[in-house]
Amino acid sequence: MSGERTSIAIPTGVLTSGALELLARSGLIQLSPEELGRQLLVDRSGLRVILVRPTDVPAYVDHGAADLGIVGKDILWETPGAHYELVDLHLGPCRLVLAVPDSSSLDGPETWPPLVRIATKYPRTAAAWFESRGQAVEVVRLHGSVELAPLVGLVDGIVDLTATGRTLRENHLRVTAVLGDSTARLIANQASLKTRTQAVQSVVSKLREVAGVAR
Amino acid sequence: MPGFRDLLPAEAEVLREAQESLLAEMRRWGYRHVITPLVESMDVLELGLGREQRRRLFKFTDGDGDVVALVGERTVPVARLAAGKLRTAPLPLRLCYAGPVLSTDEGRFQQRRETYQVGAELIGAPGAVADAEVIAMAARCMEAAGIRRYQIDVGHAEFFHGIMDAVKLPDEVKAAVRVALAARDFVALESLLESTPLRSAEHELLLRFPALRGGAEILQAAGGLVRNRRSETALAELAKVRELLVAHGIAQVVSLDLGAIRDFDYYTGVIFEGYGPDLGRPVTQGGRYDGLLARFGRPAPATGFMVQLDLVTEMLARTSGPVTMPRLDAAVAWTGAGLDTALRIGSTLRLLGMRAVVDTEAREPARAKAWWTAVGAANLIHCDSESAVSWMASGQRPKRVSPDEVASHLAGGAGI
Repeated sequence: MSGERTSIAIPTGVLTSGALELLARSGLIQLSPEELGRQLLVDRSGLRVILVRPTDVPAYVDHGAADLGIVGKDILWETPGAHYELVDLHLGPCRLVLAVPDSSSLDGPETWPPLVRIATKYPRTAAAWFESRGQAVEVVRLHGSVELAPLVGLVDGIVDLTATGRTLRENHLRVTAVLGDSTARLIANQASLKTRTQAVQSVVSKLREVAGVAR
Repeated sequence: MPGFRDLLPAEAEVLREAQESLLAEMRRWGYRHVITPLVESMDVLELGLGREQRRRLFKFTDGDGDVVALVGERTVPVARLAAGKLRTAPLPLRLCYAGPVLSTDEGRFQQRRETYQVGAELIGAPGAVADAEVIAMAARCMEAAGIRRYQIDVGHAEFFHGIMDAVKLPDEVKAAVRVALAARDFVALESLLESTPLRSAEHELLLRFPALRGGAEILQAAGGLVRNRRSETALAELAKVRELLVAHGIAQVVSLDLGAIRDFDYYTGVIFEGYGPDLGRPVTQGGRYDGLLARFGRPAPATGFMVQLDLVTEMLARTSGPVTMPRLDAAVAWTGAGLDTALRIGSTLRLLGMRAVVDTEAREPARAKAWWTAVGAANLIHCDSESAVSWMASGQRPKRVSPDEVASHLAGGAGI
């Protein structure tokens, strides 16, 4: 929210190029992933674009360091905040799934043991999902290579994000439940919407327009 | 401990001054200051707080095994007071308060679990005139605290209730709509409303919730879309409040926000939030809560607001740069026979409202200068006898003056 220009936080990783393409198609700013990756912060065409880690996008928006942010719904499940979630941008579709080893006897809820042990990068979402089904769960929080955990006997299964299912298949894991579908969302700072309504809403409606177009 | 921190002199002083300015403004509106305890019985808090608010309380037991908690807000204690010890006081009651509030939740206050609130409650007055008084006072409080640019968004809880009554949706979808709105998740809201075959003007309004902001014209636009009594009454009340705010002289900072999303189980009428520049959260919020006092046995309409003092000081720091301590006016050093003179000069300066520090040990002039720098005062007075002292202002040469002249020299320089 510094100055009068509208600022938008873009996540690093798989969503970067898609998000920048949306900004270009909406006529807001022409910016290549390389240029943004080099500078991290670009002021141009009345817009400020900043590149931050996906998990940091809600923090930038909630604190008002960015008026708007583009972020996967999976991140929002884990870090709910005070922002407005305005538009489904239909970018980077993927699913949060419960997967178990091919050899496992676990399948539907009726096959779950009294205490299910799972490994995940999404402890909050996973715990809430099991809890709402009345199932006791022990959540092991891991930061990477989650799919290894059941193969070495650390846990019964994993809760992880998958787009194509390839990584799961390669690690001999099969999906037994879908916890949720995720796509990129446009989020907005609550004060930005109120103190600079016109400038921010104009960016929002331009992005809403192009996001509706099938990709 | 995470979420708790010390306020060092510069910060503490700014916070205290902002608190005094806010309370002084509230007193100018005829509000009387009350101090309620930091600890309240859970029996009391349960009457006024929702489940989520109760979860965030620091709870413990006292010697008798009763569960007590550190207050997480101060409207409920004030309501308890108004319905209890002040039950014979004639209504309307105008009360204000200041103090810390605590939350076990680190996220809620941006990693702070202890924050400071100053608030005012107008108890026993229904209607638009009371609503407008509280909103205008909140605006004047922003100015009194030194915030130059701010805006106040005014909405109405009943506008939302009316829409939810009228919208044609199965009960379970309605419940999901409330959850989505509370989470400000308009993507979920959209898909919920899309999946229902019935379309109505209320659908449109819900989808456009974050954009239902503007001046008086927004009331007309919304009036054309709603066809239920509750929402229509809310719009009429808002129109009246807006007119009164023009008379209060704050029309230029007021916007109407029909899509304000707040705790709708608690608020029953006009609600508002105040925003300053460059801060992502509301610095003041309040509204009408006509249901609370009845839970304490004294049914009465009520409205009020609170200011987040931490956010006020944060905003002041951002607009005026890093906080600087108000400087001391005088550092008074002494040697030998000069101690009595030094103490006398210190007293005189303080009587005139200046800030003066008298040294605790004797120092020769050279060492006194080093001490002066460390203390950070505008003037150094060095007393070595009863008849004459040496006076040095920042960046100037020392002068010999009589002890009786020191105060007038400094007062001239300090602009008193």
